[in-house]
Amino acid sequence: MAVSRLENAIQLLVAALAFAVASAASAVEGIPPKPDRYFNDYAGVVSKEAAYRFNEQLAQFERETSDQVVVAVFPKMQSNSDIADYTQRVAQAWGVGQKERRNGVVLFVFVQDRKMFIQVGYGLEGALPDITAFDITEYQIKPLFRNGNYEGGLATGIDLICKAIRGEYKGSGKTAEERRGSGNVFGILPFILFVLVLIVISRVMRRLGGYGYSSRRDGPIFFPVGGGGSSSGGGGFSGFSGGGGSFGGGGAGSSW
Amino acid sequence: MGCGMVLAVLLFIIVIAALALGRSYNRLVRLQQTVDQSWAQVQNVYQRRADLIPNLVNTVSGAANFEKSTLVEVTNARASVGRVQLDPNKAPTDAAQLEQFQAAQGQLSNALSRLLVVVERYPELRANQNFLSLQAQLEGTENRISVERGNFNTAVQNYNVAVRSFPTNLIEGLLGFPPRPFFTAQTGAERPPPVQFNFGTPAPAPAATASP
Repeated sequence: MAVSRLENAIQLLVAALAFAVASAASAVEGIPPKPDRYFNDYAGVVSKEAAYRFNEQLAQFERETSDQVVVAVFPKMQSNSDIADYTQRVAQAWGVGQKERRNGVVLFVFVQDRKMFIQVGYGLEGALPDITAFDITEYQIKPLFRNGNYEGGLATGIDLICKAIRGEYKGSGKTAEERRGSGNVFGILPFILFVLVLIVISRVMRRLGGYGYSSRRDGPIFFPVGGGGSSSGGGGFSGFSGGGGSFGGGGAGSSW
Repeated sequence: MGCGMVLAVLLFIIVIAALALGRSYNRLVRLQQTVDQSWAQVQNVYQRRADLIPNLVNTVSGAANFEKSTLVEVTNARASVGRVQLDPNKAPTDAAQLEQFQAAQGQLSNALSRLLVVVERYPELRANQNFLSLQAQLEGTENRISVERGNFNTAVQNYNVAVRSFPTNLIEGLLGFPPRPFFTAQTGAERPPPVQFNFGTPAPAPAATASP
């Protein structure tokens, strides 16, 4: 018994140490904040027009299929881990894909490291198996990236990923962000009703000569209108918000 | 009057304790469920790797005079993995059992990584579509293994913390929720592997470089 207690204590200690090491490691590693678009070029390798086009293409793809495909182009990897490992954690943290279907795909590109990786959510591992992902990065994107043609490589990558996973799920005609936006309007409806009721009550009270607002407060009443319209990102971009999908390490990558 | 008061207080305490017990019991059940689920996932991805091996061995042995010892090693490791079968639906409660499982899987990992190194010497294999496809699948499986192991460890950690936290640890034996073992880093993983460059020529005497 005493031995097992000691063992337990040691195990706990080891766990604590492992946790300390993990948190020290995560201090070095940076998980980038959730993107607000589908196509995110943090390295500035494609033109504004192309970025807009890709973004709208991917937003439309989510409307049609509910699959969330996100592209993130970074200058550099903020981690010492293996790219497969790191990008899995990032994709999981961003929650790309719908929660139940787990149908998210993220194409990560690290320009200075000359590395890329396609992370495939659990629900799309069948439609986009590792070998297909490898094919896309190694034989389709890589040759274009090698020639410095980032725009072409990314366009090809996006097209091929969408082609592979189209037909796996059916969309609702709206993105998660758009659904959330309409949800917010419903969310503030009770509040508006509540305010209206208060106003009515106060008027009735006043008419009855009871306590309440003085007549001086009869000025304009401000309604908290439009609090839920956080829909689009800046400049008419279709905004992205993760549906809570999860990733199990599926996918593949290449370096160029 | 006093007696009734005491009785009421006692009853109150009992009801509160029962409620608390019920709640922590339900919580433990849920956490245990999560542990078992993530264990099933771990087993799943390890199985996936084991299933890839016959195909891999066949493809590789097709290459002209491929080094037999490496293949034998992989096949043996695969066989020993098959011998350490744990219940896929219930996470192990015995640390030694998990250790044994981990050792067998670790042996297979080592054999596989050696195989992939040896393959580098066979250009015909590296141009073989079938082999490249298997290699991509194998890499993906290793990634999945590391993800699921991580998920399993997190689940076990949450469960163990719950089991050992204050009110629960007093009745842990009573309720039948033993703490669960988790995956540890592989023995030797903390040491970087030795890097040897052997280009088939006898190593020249190391140049006397000044240490920094």
